[in-house]
Amino acid sequence: MRVTANTFANDLVLHLGRLTQRQNQLQTQAATGQRIRNPSDDPQGMARVLDLQHEGRTLAQYRDNISLLKEGAQVAMSMLQGLKRISDRVGEIAVLADGLSSREEMQAYATEVDELIKQAVQLSNTRHRDDYILGGTRTQSPPFEAQYDADGNVVSVSYLGNTNVREVEIAEGLTLSSQMPGANTSGSGPRGLLADSRSGADFFAHLIALRDHLRAGDSESIRSSDLPQLRADEDNFIYHIAANGVTQARLDTAKEMTRDRLEGLEKLVSQEADVDLAQTLVRLNTTQTAYMAALQTGGMVLRQSLLDYLR
Amino acid sequence: MLGLFGTLDMGARSMQNQLTGIEVTGHNLANVNNPAYARQRVRFQTNTTIPTPLGPQGTGAQVTAITQLRNALLDRQLIGEAGLTAYWQTQQRLLEQAETSLGQQLDRQADSISGTASGSTGGSMGLAEQLSDLFNAFQSVATQPASVEERQVLLQKARAVAEQFNRVHGRLTGLQTAIQDQLQEDVQTVNRLLADIAALNHQIARTELSAKGPANDLRDLRQEKLEELGKYLNLEVVEDQTGQVNIATSGVLLVDGQQVSLQLETFDAGQGLLQLRTSDGQPLSVTSGSLAGLMEMRDGALAGALDRINRLAGTLIQTVNALHANGFDLEGNTGLDFFLGTDAATIALNDVLVDNPARFQAAGAAGAAGDNQVVLQLARLASAPQAALGGQTLQQYYHQTVTGLGESLAEATRQVKNQEAVHQMLQRQRDAVSGVSLDEEMTEMVKFQKAFQASARLVSTVDELLETVISMKR
Repeated sequence: MRVTANTFANDLVLHLGRLTQRQNQLQTQAATGQRIRNPSDDPQGMARVLDLQHEGRTLAQYRDNISLLKEGAQVAMSMLQGLKRISDRVGEIAVLADGLSSREEMQAYATEVDELIKQAVQLSNTRHRDDYILGGTRTQSPPFEAQYDADGNVVSVSYLGNTNVREVEIAEGLTLSSQMPGANTSGSGPRGLLADSRSGADFFAHLIALRDHLRAGDSESIRSSDLPQLRADEDNFIYHIAANGVTQARLDTAKEMTRDRLEGLEKLVSQEADVDLAQTLVRLNTTQTAYMAALQTGGMVLRQSLLDYLR
Repeated sequence: MLGLFGTLDMGARSMQNQLTGIEVTGHNLANVNNPAYARQRVRFQTNTTIPTPLGPQGTGAQVTAITQLRNALLDRQLIGEAGLTAYWQTQQRLLEQAETSLGQQLDRQADSISGTASGSTGGSMGLAEQLSDLFNAFQSVATQPASVEERQVLLQKARAVAEQFNRVHGRLTGLQTAIQDQLQEDVQTVNRLLADIAALNHQIARTELSAKGPANDLRDLRQEKLEELGKYLNLEVVEDQTGQVNIATSGVLLVDGQQVSLQLETFDAGQGLLQLRTSDGQPLSVTSGSLAGLMEMRDGALAGALDRINRLAGTLIQTVNALHANGFDLEGNTGLDFFLGTDAATIALNDVLVDNPARFQAAGAAGAAGDNQVVLQLARLASAPQAALGGQTLQQYYHQTVTGLGESLAEATRQVKNQEAVHQMLQRQRDAVSGVSLDEEMTEMVKFQKAFQASARLVSTVDELLETVISMKR
């Protein structure tokens, strides 16, 4: 093929342009560490990365949900333990009162029980991040309200919450609740903590009955009715403590699974989007060498012409 | 027999001829960097012989023509390839802009998927991230439905999504407007080129009729104009016997000899989208060149992307509102829409919510601030297949929109590369025929110079001979 004056120059410009473009691409890859930056770099790869990133963000949210649930479960647990301690003390008093004959001692116990009732009401109105945890889904007002007589004794405690609990998603399609309603006398749904028709628990009513029996010195009633009733309450607390333990264990497992999956995802995204640095640098080096060679030879060839040899 | 005077004449003519050769060489050298130029050569022919007793005798040489070296087939191919190259380059340029408009980039350094769920680590903030953020914010509210802080975060995320939709829509429609403007500009350029070519046809015909050789430089100019015109639309170029070219596109004659028979026009066929027609009102469809590239981009990839973004926003508005309207806010109200608007251009967060986050209807029952049934359903929309989106989730649909554009751009880039290679190859082939070589021209110049010097020597020799003849008389 006949080569003319501008063939060299045109080809050189074309080749230098291509090599510059290639260098720029490889340099960007090396600087960002990414093989894919724009969708057009690898449309299918980009689609996979976007899907994986979406999954990653969703999992990170589940991880946050799990942490918050765990926090709620821990708050509930410490409340449960407090209530259990009150229940234990009341059980002790009921057993002790059974063998007492002194009316003064009975009165003293009655006063202690009254204090314990007030303490239990206070504990039952525990809050976690502005939510009353025993109110069911009525979380914005105290779920338990005590009514007093003229002497300041608790005469009854009413439940103002409902029997629903809030389920939170901890994995796709999987929900869990760290909540329990304060009372559930409907016979269905989640079991109530302080009053539950299925287990026969009604802690406040039973405490009030015990106090009144102590005050009246009625040790017979304490033995025959209060003690079995308080045992039912205790069983109900134990049921909830166990359930809370199970929930916390499930949350720990779910958290670990989420963390593992997130790590796996990070690897997958890296495989898809990240550049093999060694390979890129070698290719960049090759391209640079080609670029320099093109410049050098181009300069040599373009300088020469017949003019150099004609006088 | 020429005799001394005849030989003197022959010497003088020869000098004239060599000078013409030098002039043409000079013309070639002057145009070495003119890409439209085709090298020219002087055509010599022996002069008429005269009969002598020894037989016919030569009388030197004469210049019969100055011709240019062109390959008509390559020239025609280059016009066609210019159109294809421009077609793909236009698509590539516009697709790059469309890809930028979506604003979906990967930035691995700034964004780690195990980072915070709110995505506040920065990085790429396209719709993909913002949609995830919105659904994560629904999840967060589901964990604490009564928390005003969580509600505020949710509303911020929702507003960010709505604004991103508005922005993307604005950029894409801006691109559409730019395409329309370009279309009008290109049509004007095409009309100007058609007029130029018709005028050149006229000049070439007139010049070639009155002179005996071809109008080389005018033809160079016309070829340059044809190649420029070829960048805008597909051309059928036919040269007639008078040297004039007729130009047609898609079977419609635009230039008939010295007349522009039909010009191009744009017209609004409805929906504000400009179409092409000829000046006699017939719709015109072009298949190559930047005009075809512009229209195909506007009606293809760009219209598709806009449609998908609108459909996505519309589905988001409908599905979110349908669930939200059934919920109850912290004050027990119900029936409020979460988003306003119907598509990506009009989507906005309901002002009522902006003013009062407590109005977000997260609960499934009135008077239960801690209930999260509705907001949980909203959060689950993230993984719910949507019939309106062909059974894909909102995210999947958007991801496909992004990769669809990316795919088109990658394809256009491949085509541009191929096309540029083909174009370059043809250009080289034409250079091989028509390009000026400095070495050749210098050699030619030396040849003509030597021949000129030799012819001058002939004149001086004959002069001496004449001197001898004249001095015989003394």
